[in-house]
Amino acid sequence: MAQQAQAAQSTYSKACRDLTDKQEFIDAIKSGKVLARKCAKCGHLHLATIYFCQNCGHKEFENKPLDGNGVVATYTIITVPPAGFEKYTPYAWVVMKIDGYDLRISGFLGGIGSPAQLPVGSKVKITGYDDRGILLEKQ
Amino acid sequence: MEKVCVLGAGSTKYGKLDDSITDIAIQASVGAIESAGIDPKEIQAGYISNVFGVADKQVHLGPVIMSNLGIPEKPSLSIESACGSGSVSFREAFANVAAGFYDAVLVTGVEKVTHTGTEWTTTYFSYCSDFFYEGGAGASFPGLFASMARAYLTEFKATEEDLARVAVKNHDNGLLNPKAHLRKKITIDDVMKSAVVASPLKLYDCCPFSDGASAVILCSEKFAKAHSKNYVDVIGSGRGGSPATLQGRDHMTTIPSTKLAAEAAYKMAGITPKDVDFAEVHDCFTIAEIVDTEDLGFFEKGQGVHATREGRTALNGDIPINPSGGLKSKGHPIGATGVGQVAEVFEQLTGKAGERTVKDAHIGLTHNFGATGASCAVHIFKSV
Repeated sequence: MAQQAQAAQSTYSKACRDLTDKQEFIDAIKSGKVLARKCAKCGHLHLATIYFCQNCGHKEFENKPLDGNGVVATYTIITVPPAGFEKYTPYAWVVMKIDGYDLRISGFLGGIGSPAQLPVGSKVKITGYDDRGILLEKQ
Repeated sequence: MEKVCVLGAGSTKYGKLDDSITDIAIQASVGAIESAGIDPKEIQAGYISNVFGVADKQVHLGPVIMSNLGIPEKPSLSIESACGSGSVSFREAFANVAAGFYDAVLVTGVEKVTHTGTEWTTTYFSYCSDFFYEGGAGASFPGLFASMARAYLTEFKATEEDLARVAVKNHDNGLLNPKAHLRKKITIDDVMKSAVVASPLKLYDCCPFSDGASAVILCSEKFAKAHSKNYVDVIGSGRGGSPATLQGRDHMTTIPSTKLAAEAAYKMAGITPKDVDFAEVHDCFTIAEIVDTEDLGFFEKGQGVHATREGRTALNGDIPINPSGGLKSKGHPIGATGVGQVAEVFEQLTGKAGERTVKDAHIGLTHNFGATGASCAVHIFKSV
């Protein structure tokens, strides 16, 4: 990984090398954080996987790790799953609004079988990442 | 810019079809050529819309179709833009005819997936989402639209019965369409009692997975006038994009690309939503039709459910939506759908829509998007 990063640095700009490293974003998720990227020019916040500022087009960013806590913006409970998710069914897929920021992230939330268990606005948090994608739990 | 016209249209039945993807694509193409009354040699290019050719062991469909039409020397290309592939192909064909590169082109959309079964289609369709955040975290397409539905029901105090009315209305229209996939009258109760697929959406809130093909001949006005009196003018064409993920959008109850595409199409046509007599919109799920009719400017935000309840979108309403039965009842062969919408508008505006004819209609609109509206195209047509 370090070797790859070094090779990338010699070829591309620093910003490019950092941004292509999705593993860094996933590692942050695994520790319950969302690695947001703050535009160095206008301050607009994005998830780490962006390459040009959506607001001003600038390409330099600062890392801004956010606590992975938030509330359910919307969600569904899946009862007919895609392949690989059969054994977890039913489960919720959630769009979470991150506390304190106008930024949302989505992921898998297991063990939910009825809407009564997860009203919109429920407090949730990021807990990890595996073959089910970004994992969320109720707070 | 050249004026562009639709000169002919053809479609197979939508549903579970036995013939191969190649065969149905050719059947629809021949139908369009015969409907236009042209010699295939007059076609200068083919625009082929398809997503999952791999499922029926045929990609690179363009040359196969052109060869079977006796014009192997003509150029073609395949276009994939998820469920919006058909309208995006139509747009590219429109742009090239409008620019004067071609006088007449074939646009053929096709899909053949029902033989793969529900798990395959649910899984592979989920690849049309931004997979890292959505499909890869267990979100099926019903799940993504269910999330929009949840947001809509919460924000506008609408009910699941309100969504069910869209399905009932589109099934009523589909009953009048001999080529529709689901020709069956249903009630609100049927929808409410159907199995939950992704809460709050139930089976009857969802369009079916369909096989099918549709094709149209698009040409310059000069070419059209030299061949037929039965053609339709394309007076507006617009495209737009949205953040690929739902999380990337400020609001979950609107699709930004629809607004952008509609705004551009209305501007080109020099009309407002009030001038549209009927529309074929992307109702992959009941919630989508509600959101679409608001984003297209037919109703204020939050009012789409009331309009449906009042019958305004029914075949005899003031703005009939999906007279063909829509994706919900006519069916959704994803590569064909956007082209099939154009075929429906062509039939409506040239007096070939039979029992489902919208009365006194002169201006029709098509709206078709890919995924949760990450890509979108809107077209506006006028009778001559």
